[in-house]
Amino acid sequence: MDDEIRQILAEHGRLPVEISDLSDDADLYQAGMTSHASVNVMLALEDAFDIEFPESMLRKSTFESVGAIRDALVTLVGAPAE
Amino acid sequence: MDVVTIEEVADSLAVFGDRYVGRLFTEHEVASCRGSDASVAAGLAARFAAKEAAIKVLRPSTHQPEWRSIEVRRHPDGWCALHLSDSAARLARQQGISDMAVSLTHDRAIAAAVVVALVDGERSGKERGAHGGAGRATSEETL
Repeated sequence: MDDEIRQILAEHGRLPVEISDLSDDADLYQAGMTSHASVNVMLALEDAFDIEFPESMLRKSTFESVGAIRDALVTLVGAPAE
Repeated sequence: MDVVTIEEVADSLAVFGDRYVGRLFTEHEVASCRGSDASVAAGLAARFAAKEAAIKVLRPSTHQPEWRSIEVRRHPDGWCALHLSDSAARLARQQGISDMAVSLTHDRAIAAAVVVALVDGERSGKERGAHGGAGRATSEETL
């Protein structure tokens, strides 16, 4: 799951730094991700995981880090298989 | 105030198409942005900037208002106004905002919007932080 999240962030997050340089808890907005880019990340995550983010999860904190995105996805699709 | 690169919006339209549009913009906003692909992207970029600028004024502490609850309405004479509904309207009431105004602009690469809000007297001072004219909050403040 983390690899897919990072791949989507690399493709749609428009980050000025390499996603591989950011830890799981690094703040993506501080790293340069804009609100508009976070919408693209959200749509790409919905495509990749066949989900739809409910309105209650549409807040900046949902997409503020790799770890936060993972937590949101686990809530929506369940924990990945070991 | 908020700025958005038009190319970013054009790319989103190309990649996500109707899902992108439907998630962010109302039917009125889409209908207001007609013409070439470049014109559509510029118009939608300006409207996204307006939504972001409005959110900065509304200052949500938990959930962000739904994008479509902040609508840019274009008057037949060309000027635009903000119309809030649902979660955005509730936030405005909580913040004591009685009126908002928006100005949109775009050039070749960048679209921008400025939002100003009229805040009722009791909330215009320390509660929202002092900033400029009495009772007037601007989106220059950061969340």
